[in-house]
Amino acid sequence: MLRAGVEVGGTFTDLVAVEGGKVIVGKVPSVPRSPDEGAYNALLAGGVAIDRIDDLVHGSTVATNAVLERRGAKVAFIATAGFRDVLFLQRHDRRSIYDLGYAKPAALAERRDCFEVAERVLADGAVETALDELSVARLLDGPLATGGYDAVAICLLNAYANPAHESRVAALIRARMPHLQVTCSSDVAREFREYERASTAVLAAYVQPVIARYLDRFEGKLKEAGFQGKFSIMQSSGGRTPAEGMKRNAVTALFSGPAAGATGAARLAARAGFRNLITVDMGGTSTDVTLVVDGEPQLASETEIDGLPVRTPVLDIVSVGAGGGSIVWVDDGGMLRVGPRSSGADPGPACYGRGGQQPTVTDAHVIRGTIRPKAFLGGRMNIDVDKARAVFAPLAERFGMSLEEVADSAIRIAEANIVRAIQIVSTERGHDPRDYALLPFGGAGPLHAGRIAEDLGVRTILVPPCAGVISAYGLLAADYVHHETATRRIELKPGVEPGIREAVAEMRARAAKRFSDIGLEGSPVFDVTAEMRFVGQAFEVPVALPIDAMDTLTVEEIGRLFEVAHERLYRHGASGRKRIEIVAFRLGAGLPLEALPMISAPDSVGDIAETAAVTERRKSFDCPVRARAGIEPGALVEGPLLLEDSTSTIYIPEGWGGEVDAWYNLVLRRAS
Amino acid sequence: MITVDPVDYAVISQSLIAAAREMGAKMIRSAYSTIVREARDCSAAILDRHGNVVAQAELIPMQLGPMATTFKACAALYPVDQLVEGDFYINNDPFEGGQHLPDIFIFTPIFLDGTVIGFGATTAHHLDLGGGAPGLNSLASDIYQEGLRIPPSRYNMRDWGEKGMFQRLVTANIRVPDQTIGDLNAQFAANNTGAERVKELARKYGIETVDAVMAELLDYSERRVRAALRAVPNGVYYAEDAIDDDGITDTPLVIKVKVTVKDDEIDLDFDGTCEQVQRNLNCPYASTVSAALSCVKAVLTSADIPFNEGLKRPITVTAPYGSLLNPRPPAPVRARMEAGYRVWNAVMKALAQVVPEKVIACGYDTTYVGAFSHLGPAGYKIYLEVFGGGYGASAGTDGCDAVDGPLSNCANAPIESLDMDHDFIRVVDYSLVPDSGGAGEWRGGLGFVRRYEVLKEGVELNLYADRFRIAPDGLFGGEAGMPGACEVKRDGQTFRLKSKDKAVLRKGDVVSLICGGGAGYGPPSRRRRDLVDRDVEQGYVSRKASERAYGTVRQAAE
Repeated sequence: MLRAGVEVGGTFTDLVAVEGGKVIVGKVPSVPRSPDEGAYNALLAGGVAIDRIDDLVHGSTVATNAVLERRGAKVAFIATAGFRDVLFLQRHDRRSIYDLGYAKPAALAERRDCFEVAERVLADGAVETALDELSVARLLDGPLATGGYDAVAICLLNAYANPAHESRVAALIRARMPHLQVTCSSDVAREFREYERASTAVLAAYVQPVIARYLDRFEGKLKEAGFQGKFSIMQSSGGRTPAEGMKRNAVTALFSGPAAGATGAARLAARAGFRNLITVDMGGTSTDVTLVVDGEPQLASETEIDGLPVRTPVLDIVSVGAGGGSIVWVDDGGMLRVGPRSSGADPGPACYGRGGQQPTVTDAHVIRGTIRPKAFLGGRMNIDVDKARAVFAPLAERFGMSLEEVADSAIRIAEANIVRAIQIVSTERGHDPRDYALLPFGGAGPLHAGRIAEDLGVRTILVPPCAGVISAYGLLAADYVHHETATRRIELKPGVEPGIREAVAEMRARAAKRFSDIGLEGSPVFDVTAEMRFVGQAFEVPVALPIDAMDTLTVEEIGRLFEVAHERLYRHGASGRKRIEIVAFRLGAGLPLEALPMISAPDSVGDIAETAAVTERRKSFDCPVRARAGIEPGALVEGPLLLEDSTSTIYIPEGWGGEVDAWYNLVLRRAS
Repeated sequence: MITVDPVDYAVISQSLIAAAREMGAKMIRSAYSTIVREARDCSAAILDRHGNVVAQAELIPMQLGPMATTFKACAALYPVDQLVEGDFYINNDPFEGGQHLPDIFIFTPIFLDGTVIGFGATTAHHLDLGGGAPGLNSLASDIYQEGLRIPPSRYNMRDWGEKGMFQRLVTANIRVPDQTIGDLNAQFAANNTGAERVKELARKYGIETVDAVMAELLDYSERRVRAALRAVPNGVYYAEDAIDDDGITDTPLVIKVKVTVKDDEIDLDFDGTCEQVQRNLNCPYASTVSAALSCVKAVLTSADIPFNEGLKRPITVTAPYGSLLNPRPPAPVRARMEAGYRVWNAVMKALAQVVPEKVIACGYDTTYVGAFSHLGPAGYKIYLEVFGGGYGASAGTDGCDAVDGPLSNCANAPIESLDMDHDFIRVVDYSLVPDSGGAGEWRGGLGFVRRYEVLKEGVELNLYADRFRIAPDGLFGGEAGMPGACEVKRDGQTFRLKSKDKAVLRKGDVVSLICGGGAGYGPPSRRRRDLVDRDVEQGYVSRKASERAYGTVRQAAE
């Protein structure tokens, strides 16, 4: 069975192909104007026989870039009469409270393309004003006929409770204008809060034609080359969907890149027996962190892109501007800071010698000795130490420190920024990071893992093999996943259990139908979460319900589960006497892979035994250097030590030691 | 200049700011009333052991100043060194450092090894604290009619809880205790979260280091403000603005400021401002200071300077006792935000004379509060929202459309949330108001309208707003923004309410809260043609209004 994962990133397109025990890893430059070309090139460059691929999984930034660069579809937006301005009114608040020239996030539909139809549904789903089909007909005869639209997004008030009017408007449009892509808000986000739901619907409509065209083009090219396998696409939830599914709801592709990385990391670690993890993906411009609980990366129910809210299941990933290219600077109050601005891939850090004039985290490593010029990216990249030192000289002078000391300080601040991001996904969500192992990946993650772990009190670190291509691996390791949401307000009272069971059963049936519609066979595995709150609150706390025990689950048990979750998050609430309600359900349906593909050690290049002059945490010392490939499974290593391989460098601080396990993970533990 | 290790400083200071942000986020997400959970009318901060604010969640600018003054009033009576575990300070008294009664300030001491190392502090706007009308008594003539006054006090968590005597006293005096007590609990919990974070830092880095970082954070803000002030030419600058009226007579309430910049200090003197008034437009001194500081900070410094006590050191604010901006008790003060906004406008106009490229024209800059309430068999139902309008334009940007005013930052309540929660009103329209932004080289932001259908007999509306008569002034040739209004349509007739008013509504009435637009910056003749055309194409400006202000409209447009 030949499986291939191709991940299109901003700078590079990564490939991981697996057949039996053989792994092909590849990296080619992306082709920003035509990402499918880069993806295709990656397969060719890796020598993968396209006509023999059984399973091809693809992740790309096409949807994300369409939004960020405003190159999506021309969208018409339809709202309930009186509310067509919802995309511009937004939530009436400002993100930056002292910015006098503040501008709201720019909507993806223009105001002249926003229309109204007469109707009103109430919060309980009752129809207060029937849909005036004449008002729809007027749109069909007028602006929709002449506007030159690619797509239509419909968001009617309270459609989450009763989508009948939305469905009817969509049907009327499709009947007259079958070429138009129509998105109903109730299909993409079945939750209350009209601005957030409208924003999600418009985003879906905006990226839909772009994704559909892109996938058609790529699939066409693959077919020409004889491709006959399954073709699936990564989603923001960390699961994959057949390309057919993505063409129905492309909004789920918006955050697929970071999701692939977290999923890959979670799957690799689970195989080695680590199910509770903090994953740290440190790349050139930013670091993405995620919490993995019992083998599954945690989901968030809301996020945003370019300031626009997205209400669709997405992995709870917090991104912080602390990557290798992040710029080290001093603000006008004299504080040393790192990021969020980055020197990017071009010009990149000063030590790349491509014209970078600003000190960066990578330059700091070169000065401090934790990146050795001759070993960086396996020696494929020329590193100019003098340029790194030159850009750090003014900082050293300003703080009265040596170059090494100021470089070390900058790295400690970058690490503290990452620690704070981890605290957001752990402590702030009521999880103690000390109960988790740290899994660093991306080019720079393993350099910082030791100190980050110490700051958090984490005692175990797992460094996977091929840490630089975990995202592409994640594509191969992802299950087929589909999520259903349903807003259904149920106050917890004796006797409401049948209603809860019925709601869950309905969602199960819908998810199962969705799988069969897109051609997936097998028995899905389900999980269900109730979004709950005390009556009167507005934000819900997710509470996982035992899906296998739904038949015997009582409201008392559900209430207890909720109070524990609320107390953990907010430190109040568990009185046992307050009224509690369920507001919505979220059901995940997953079709697990029969077998997880293997990824093992890269080709051995032999060990080295050298030392490097390192300054770290204010101490200067000669640090031993070895090649990662030289460490056999079972052999012990001990810090301080630099371990180099072709995609990353691992720094093991003093006090840490460990071994390579049977899956070529380096498992480090801190001496007590 | 920095005495602590730069890395410790960077790490700990950012952690303190993150702690304040987390406190704010959790308070909002676990709160009960619409005003806190949806509108986010609340703030959170970490204070040092002396009560200096060192880090704040940037939620509501107006609430950021008085954290320290309300604290100090408590600490003066009940010294910090006599506090025990479980104690807290609480204060909402406008004449003891507070704002208006609904903003209750709570301070939780952070104990480590038996000593206080700082405070977790929050304030939230509470939906109803009793008084002469549900949610808002717009006709109050003294503070006693405005609700429950909690003087600077120290209680213990023993006094809270369902059988705690303090909680019982509060509960007995307010109309919707489930929501208000729930919101207060969210405040206590947020304070505890902040305390936990500071304790973690102190355990890890040592109390002394955290102390030193707190002190340095204050110095840091001070340095950055002084640096900004040094860039402003020395001089004395005068300006004024006015509130429409006091709700009784038609006389505008004039606010005057003399701004003196000398080297790295600035003095704001409100001498010449009108006397205090009989209705709720009086602005407690702490609110005056907050409004003035917010304007100086927004105009002169970059947005990322932490708002803390250090920022205040180079800035002095004075207002005559007995004036609108420093009233004597028992003046009613509920609508102090309107005077706060005129303070903001006056200081802005004064600074416009010396840093024209940094200021903005007047926006609608009004807190527009409509409180709808209904007494049914199940008790009171109260719905209250806080609205802004259009922002003033700057040298280089059009004013932001339909957003809360610069001293506040309340979000709107989703229509679907109101549909779920309220059976006595229904929103039937929420739209931008075309042509409401003042014309100019840069156009003022648009105002908006919210229209409510009344679903039951006897719904009461209490209202306060401003700029129904005096429009926001443009700058450097920019035109004024559109004033606001409140209209009630009943049986085919429309009548208008005043900006400070009260009405009993009938089933079927349709009430329009119309929030005005911001003013323009620079002469309309200099507006870029593509922006003129865009505004007409997108319906922000009507063809007719565009022709009047900017001349012929391109034919292809619209």
